[in-house]
Amino acid sequence: MPELPEPPGDAPRVIDQGSIWILVASPSIWAAHFLISYWVAAVYCAKAPNAAPLMEPRWIAIGLGVFCCAVIAWLAWIAVKRYGGVFLIFEEITESSERGRDKFIGHVSLLLCVLSAVAIVFNIIPGLVLGEC
Amino acid sequence: MTDEIDLSQLPPAEPYDKARDEAQRARLLDVWKKPTGWRGVSAVNNSHVGKWYLLTSFAFFVFAGILALLIRVQLAVPDNPLFSQSLYNQLFTLHGTAMMFLFAVPIFEAVAIIILPEILGARDLPFPRLSAFGFWCFVIGGVFVCGSIFFGVAPDGGWFMYTPLSSDPAYSGLGTDIWLLGLSFIEVSSIAAAVELIVGVLKSRPPGMRLNLVPLYCWYVLVVAGMILFAFPPLIAGDLLLEMERAFGWAFFDPDRGGDPLLWQHLFWIFGHPEVYIIFLPSIALIATMLPTFAGRPMVGHSWIVLSAVSVAFLSFGLWVHHMFTTGLPEISLAFFSAASEAVAVPTGIQIFCFIATMLVAKVRPSVPMLFAGGALAIFVFGGLTGVMVALVPFDWQAHDSYFVVAHLHYTLIGGMLFPLFAGIHYWYPFVTKRKMNDRAGKWSFWLMFGGFNVAFLPMHWTGIMGMPRRVWTYQLSDGWGLLNMVSTIGSFVFAFGFLVLAINVLWPRGKHAAAPRNIWNAGTMEWSEEQEGTPWGVRSIPYVHTRYPLWEQPELVGEMDRGEWFLPDAEEGERELIVTDILDARPLFVQRVGGPSFLTLGAAFCLGAVFILATFHLWTWTLFFGAGFVAFVLRWLWTGTARIPEKTTKYVGRGITLPTYAQGNKSVGWWAVFITMTGDMTAFTGLVFSYFFFWTALPDFLPSLADVPAFGPLMGGLALMLVGWGMTIAAREALRKDNGTISMILLVGSVVIKTAGIAAWCYAAWAVGLDPTVHSFDAMVWMLILWTGLHLILDAVMHGYVIARIWKHCCTPIFRADVINLTLYGHFVAITVIVTFALLALFPLMMGVL
Repeated sequence: MPELPEPPGDAPRVIDQGSIWILVASPSIWAAHFLISYWVAAVYCAKAPNAAPLMEPRWIAIGLGVFCCAVIAWLAWIAVKRYGGVFLIFEEITESSERGRDKFIGHVSLLLCVLSAVAIVFNIIPGLVLGEC
Repeated sequence: MTDEIDLSQLPPAEPYDKARDEAQRARLLDVWKKPTGWRGVSAVNNSHVGKWYLLTSFAFFVFAGILALLIRVQLAVPDNPLFSQSLYNQLFTLHGTAMMFLFAVPIFEAVAIIILPEILGARDLPFPRLSAFGFWCFVIGGVFVCGSIFFGVAPDGGWFMYTPLSSDPAYSGLGTDIWLLGLSFIEVSSIAAAVELIVGVLKSRPPGMRLNLVPLYCWYVLVVAGMILFAFPPLIAGDLLLEMERAFGWAFFDPDRGGDPLLWQHLFWIFGHPEVYIIFLPSIALIATMLPTFAGRPMVGHSWIVLSAVSVAFLSFGLWVHHMFTTGLPEISLAFFSAASEAVAVPTGIQIFCFIATMLVAKVRPSVPMLFAGGALAIFVFGGLTGVMVALVPFDWQAHDSYFVVAHLHYTLIGGMLFPLFAGIHYWYPFVTKRKMNDRAGKWSFWLMFGGFNVAFLPMHWTGIMGMPRRVWTYQLSDGWGLLNMVSTIGSFVFAFGFLVLAINVLWPRGKHAAAPRNIWNAGTMEWSEEQEGTPWGVRSIPYVHTRYPLWEQPELVGEMDRGEWFLPDAEEGERELIVTDILDARPLFVQRVGGPSFLTLGAAFCLGAVFILATFHLWTWTLFFGAGFVAFVLRWLWTGTARIPEKTTKYVGRGITLPTYAQGNKSVGWWAVFITMTGDMTAFTGLVFSYFFFWTALPDFLPSLADVPAFGPLMGGLALMLVGWGMTIAAREALRKDNGTISMILLVGSVVIKTAGIAAWCYAAWAVGLDPTVHSFDAMVWMLILWTGLHLILDAVMHGYVIARIWKHCCTPIFRADVINLTLYGHFVAITVIVTFALLALFPLMMGVL
């Protein structure tokens, strides 16, 4: 069968080459940790016997939080190593090239990793402070 | 590294030829001109639709503002007999509803539709007819909802319409139905705009504009449109549940029948809190676009702002329960949401600090837009700080539902949304009208509004602390709130007067004034490259952009564009054309032909509006009639306007580049539109899944005994049939690719038949155990999930019929098969819905029964 004509040059592939996923990965991990903590606590408080101490949910939230932070650290490492992400304030990554785009995404991903990790730590604190539902 | 075409090394443009330039301009004008006379309403071009959108949103703003003034008049003095309690309830409900749904969200879409294509150096967005459809839906729905107050039947349950007040017919009348159906209808237009804007930012960038060069405004638009896609659908799911309870007595929110009123609060606020950021981010985006212009330098921390926008988009979904701190949820749950509410202040603060840093490192030119922007930041920071206060659970318990919250939310919304918008109005007015606003009047309006606002809302912090609850229609002298309320009322009128000055300044006829200079503020972003009047095509030729501020850093660009030296300088085939580029690097992919003026969109919006309005009055026959009309209009629109087989497969676009004129699969914009729409659809479905688990968590006896749940056999059989049907659709796509049109059509017909049998099996399963949705929440939830799947299969069947007809008529062929590829994409999403529904209907009760 004849096929459609192709545009000139290659188009980068969004998933394997490009880098959209690493932008949303770390905040998605925050979202997953947040929702799982909320669900575990909600189900536990609704289904466990009244006034049970929050031993299990808090350890789940904390353990998962540590695990998530580890994954985020790994993502940050990818952002630095593979994309060339750097931590700077007066960012001027305006080079018009594939590498420039990569470095920009690496940089933004790195910042998002830091912020997501901070937000996860915020979410662990309630488990440390509160002992009951 | 990939083999990309090097756009900086293209062959030079042909020497300028005046005769050719004029001929090209004449052809472009012929293609892009607006229809004249009454036919003007069929226009779909972004600059026309955007202007209508903007003016209509402001009309609703004025309407809702007048309601606010009436509220303030009623509260000016104690024991005021001016309005009845019932009318007062309607006033504040409609004020909040109209401001949020008919002004704050639509104005984002309006502004984006006007300026986004120009900032992207594009002629239009990829789905101009969809924008027009969204606009007309918005007008019809808005007039319907607002008009209700003149008949005394406006919604009166507060803008968040809490159950059981809104679900019990004894306490709520027609107004609630008007609210539910009217707003569901307007949500359609928001989601349509979200699809349009996401595809616009991802696929309609000028060649060369890589992700690191995308202007901040576009990042914000992308983020906000994505948020709409995840925030609005849960409310649509909630609306559906509530309307089913109101219209047919299904048991979702009635505690006597195993329902729970709190479910509504969850669904509403999963929408409602991101909504605040959906309103705030696009307005702050306007400041982020203006500020570099007046600072005369690029934004400090460009990427930091991108990071903030992206992270706010995520974090803002983790805040919804902070509106529900007093509902008796476990304290640990409240603490999670309190923590997230504090965390969101971090990225919000980063944006503000980037603005301040930019102003510090440069010398900012004073101007009216900057005046408004400065006022906005001052007010917003104040509102943000009270936000940090009410995000703390113990403080919120004190301030909840008091005027403190009213003050807080107005500080954030007026500072975060309205003032930046007014700054934007002054800034882009010369871009839209080619005239400049009066600076003196601008300053007057600013100081009147800034002063009036603070006089009106600052005292409310104290009235709230002194115990005045929100939404009370009057109070007694002995409450001691009289003086502060009078001050607030005076302030609100000063504010209104300031807005009047602004409105006169905007609407003042300036036809005879001298045209404003082309790039009046010396801005760096692309929209200011637009030529003067009489050039409805947007950009004369589509440029190659390789900097963040092209008008500053590529000074030769405007001249080159004007002379038609860049891409698509002509319209030889009489088609409206855009260049579609790739998501990461904006490499040119193909030429997209978009629809011109059409009454089909208007007809579709009218019929859909009629469906929602008639359903409010339970006129089901007429509802069905107009529903059929809507389907007919949409099919006609799709048939004549989408996936057309081009007369030639490639087209020379200039500078040595030839591009395809047809695309399918994930290269095409249509595929992305289906993908994005269905992502929103899945979010609504997730809302239903959440409801199911919410009931299970909240009610000890939600799941009945195993004998009373739908039988496993028919459910399993139904699942198998529906999945086989899904496989047949995929097989039909492959058959067509292998040039087997007939087999493809047979498979498509078979797919519909077999899926119908599948959903019938599910209905049987629920019916056989006697599930009655009016009796218990479990029954209602099961039927709701089956109904949801069934509605998707009806749509699926219509789409199959459409594709069969397209193949039959050789509009969808083995080579040009975008239609069938998009159909399968839809099928994948329906398959996910079917599998998850099966898990909820069959597996989960079984699992819980065994445990």
